[in-house]
Amino acid sequence: MEEDFELLAKFKKGDHRAFESLVRKYKMAVFNTIYSIIGDAQEADDIAQEVFLKVYTKAGSFKRKSSFPTWLYRITVNRCLDELRKRKNKIISLETEFDQDEKLKLKDVLASKEGDITEELKRKELEDIVQKAMNSLPERDRIILTLKEMEGLSYKEISQIMKISLAKVKVWLFRARQKLKGKLSFLYPQE
Amino acid sequence: MSCKKFRILLSAYLDREITKDKEKELLNHLNTCVDCARELEYLKQIKRMFILKGKKEPQEFFETRLLELIKNKRKQLIWQSYFPVIKRTIVVILIFFLIIAGWVNYKKLLYHRTTETISDLLVDEEIDENFQEELLVTYYSPLK
Repeated sequence: MEEDFELLAKFKKGDHRAFESLVRKYKMAVFNTIYSIIGDAQEADDIAQEVFLKVYTKAGSFKRKSSFPTWLYRITVNRCLDELRKRKNKIISLETEFDQDEKLKLKDVLASKEGDITEELKRKELEDIVQKAMNSLPERDRIILTLKEMEGLSYKEISQIMKISLAKVKVWLFRARQKLKGKLSFLYPQE
Repeated sequence: MSCKKFRILLSAYLDREITKDKEKELLNHLNTCVDCARELEYLKQIKRMFILKGKKEPQEFFETRLLELIKNKRKQLIWQSYFPVIKRTIVVILIFFLIIAGWVNYKKLLYHRTTETISDLLVDEEIDENFQEELLVTYYSPLK
């Protein structure tokens, strides 16, 4: 965390290499957060660029009230929300139907040991299936699941980013998982 | 505690965001409730799915493209920073021209009026003649 503050301080003094270091450090996190919420790799890339551009122009107004990643995730999530609001006029189907092939692939991947998934094709297939399930969830659930499952943030960090109480984080995550479980109900034949 | 409340705790337990007391309570419940134990396995499977999914790389030359974007934005920002100054300067120049134009017009009007009065007196011969006649009438008529 101190390292981020130091890099920011250097950048504020005009050291552009410090900014580049921050970009290198956080580009994966920012891109994957956006991709998981928006569901389109090309758009996620464009939005990630805009997020870092905003960091570049607003770095001067950053106060040490929160950590740098929290501030960065907040910018990222807000930008994703803007994008999703823009799309609200367009008709987006929240219905997800997995075909038999996808169901079998997901079952197969989850049944295998972790070492087996190093295969790029399998990983890509799993990524598509998970993304399809994520895209079918409401935006709030997508955001909270992304921050927890993809980024591995703590409840406290999520509460700061989403500006909600810790109790709400707990309940929202529980509900989001229930909805995701519902979408992947074919994985649980015994129920 | 009902199974529904334990299910919320399961989610927090999975994320290691649960107090020791609650954890103990939950583990005791899991030993006796098959449904909740099964639910925990499902949630673990979903978590595993995200781990296996891994992370995706952004498109190539992310930093290079970003630096180019920043370069363009900076040019735009520089122009934008000058814009209010340019706007104010244009307004001041316009006001200045309006004042000058108004003053010139006023002077023209004043000059025109003055010259008109003088010319009325000096140039209009007919009026001058009438004036002379009137003078004659005024001064000499009583003597007639």
